[in-house]
Amino acid sequence: MFSTELVVQTFISGVMIGVLYALMALGITFIYSIMRMINWAMGEFYMIGSYLQYMLVAWLLGPDLWWLAILVSTAGVFVLGLFAEWSLLKPIFSKPPEVRSDYATVITLALLLMLRSLATGIAGPNQFTPGSNLPIVMVGPMPMAGARVAAFVFALVALGVFWAVLRYTWYGLALRATSQSRVGVQTAGIDVQRVDRMAFGIGVALAGLAGALLAPVFLVFPTNGLVTTVKGFEIVVIGGLGSIPGALIAGVALGLVESFGAAFVDSAYQNIYGFALVLLILVLRPNGLFGERGREA
Amino acid sequence: MRGQGYFLAAALALASSGVVPGAAAQDIGIGLIVPLSAPGDATGGQLIRRGAEIGVDMMNAQGGVLGKKLKLFVQDSQGKPEAGVAGYRRLVSEDKVVAVPGFFHSSVAIAVNEVAKEMGVPTMSVQASASDITAKHYDIAFRTHAVDPVRVSTWMEFIKQKGFKRVSLIAETTDYGIGLADETLAQAKSMPGVEIQKVMFDRTSTDLTPQLLQIKAFKPDMVINIGVGQPLDLIMDQATTIGLLPNTPMLISYDAPTRPQFWQLHEKNGNGIYFIAYYSPKSKLSDIGAEFAKAYKEKYKEDPVYGALNGFGAVAILSQAIKAANSTDPKTLIKTLEAGTYKSWPDAPVTFPKADGVYWHNWVPPVLILHFTQAKQDWKDAEIVVSYSKK
Repeated sequence: MFSTELVVQTFISGVMIGVLYALMALGITFIYSIMRMINWAMGEFYMIGSYLQYMLVAWLLGPDLWWLAILVSTAGVFVLGLFAEWSLLKPIFSKPPEVRSDYATVITLALLLMLRSLATGIAGPNQFTPGSNLPIVMVGPMPMAGARVAAFVFALVALGVFWAVLRYTWYGLALRATSQSRVGVQTAGIDVQRVDRMAFGIGVALAGLAGALLAPVFLVFPTNGLVTTVKGFEIVVIGGLGSIPGALIAGVALGLVESFGAAFVDSAYQNIYGFALVLLILVLRPNGLFGERGREA
Repeated sequence: MRGQGYFLAAALALASSGVVPGAAAQDIGIGLIVPLSAPGDATGGQLIRRGAEIGVDMMNAQGGVLGKKLKLFVQDSQGKPEAGVAGYRRLVSEDKVVAVPGFFHSSVAIAVNEVAKEMGVPTMSVQASASDITAKHYDIAFRTHAVDPVRVSTWMEFIKQKGFKRVSLIAETTDYGIGLADETLAQAKSMPGVEIQKVMFDRTSTDLTPQLLQIKAFKPDMVINIGVGQPLDLIMDQATTIGLLPNTPMLISYDAPTRPQFWQLHEKNGNGIYFIAYYSPKSKLSDIGAEFAKAYKEKYKEDPVYGALNGFGAVAILSQAIKAANSTDPKTLIKTLEAGTYKSWPDAPVTFPKADGVYWHNWVPPVLILHFTQAKQDWKDAEIVVSYSKK
């Protein structure tokens, strides 16, 4: 059963899924690096992105305009994120810093339950697919669904744009400065609450983008964000909380470990290999591959 | 800030909605445990629920049972054993039900039976097939569904008929998947020249490409898809992507393709699929089965499929047993179910004898293999390629 072709195919499959996992992890780690809180409802923003993609493609735009639907879905999740930050999270930032994280945990867990229940209540528990007209593409020796290749390319472009915005724009500078010191940036006249709102919006929009991209590949249903959220947190631990390069590298590493483990060790334990990698990293580098020691200010 | 606090309170209230009040003292409560949300097969659960609800309505329209109305209490198992067990405890302790039919996922039925044997209220599995549900010979465990050996015998018959020599099965690591995979390997021992490849997967996995690449490398004559709900659909789509489908025939291990949703998800790759079914419109219905089918079609504007028929059947059987026992005491009900002959949706008597092995308290419907021969084909027009009855 062991063949070079199978190894190459497994490698390609692992890299492609890993980049998509990384997109999810990036949202989690980005929100944490700015706001110093973990958004436990990330998977639900992924789920909303996938439902928006389904509704836009199935009812309004059609499969040929899937790319436009992705942009609109991502924008929709971004706006929802701004509203969620304003209505639910902004008030807790008037509290002392030491209780923010606890409050944020309670609020985002409540948001998770509410959004999941609403999705089940409104759309029902069944799965849907927006479908795709994109043809199957050969990636080396590996036939891949056009939708999956498109998702991979879109994810790489999104990661590149995200990096460029952070690196080369004034707003990116403000975001990076906030991640280093929330007090320091205020002395430079930056409205840190506005930065928080944008960071939360951008972070959940990344999850929404992942959901929209993967809607034709992994289907649309109320709990479809669960698996990608778990993978996202695994990646954050492996790559290091707050590290953007860490998210990408850890995402690919996780994808490869799962794919090779499933193909060549025992397919029944596909999810276990990722957790084993997490445990290994925690033992060897407790802050992750690229993580830094926590800093509060 | 205060307004936002109210907003959060409202959100929490919404999230925790779904609590139902208990039965009135004059009602006879029947519990129902089915998957109504992921990772369970929510569509399967919904269909059983529809059938049971119409069954209760029909019984109540005829005056109820022992002069009382039947009332259905539904618990969502989510396809998870722990949620099923919690649901059973609630149904028995709070809702005071006299029996708990339902069960789509075998793992849930097996876990619930372990608790039920202590609490004493009988269960009736209508679409869970693992052997252990009845093979443990618990007094409380009843079933009206095809068991693993019968289902596997059906596809072994198909393999023999087609002359297949290499067969891959991709199965989830649940009691359902493991049970069917092991039974297939066991029965294959009596078929010299047939080589079986077993590939297992965790049902929470979404990317099954590595497993399917292994199968493709094996070059099978047929793939048996033993996924339930969303994994079933992911296997079909991802197998199509890597070129396994439609080049290699695929057999689905239960009747999911009879659901209207199937062609929405598989418009491009559903043609040519073989699938296990337990009912065809060509099968003859009993008088109450025909009455149910009419009521179902009026309500849902579509024909009932097996899950709905069997959901109805469980309510009909339990109603007859309560009447025959003239009691709602669970122990009396169990004795009456064991001794009596009941009418359900098929035109055949239903009994629950204390038979050997897996057939304990188990009525088994005939098992069919149907074949879609064109895209968007109505399942009622699907070709019947195998019809197997337990010898």
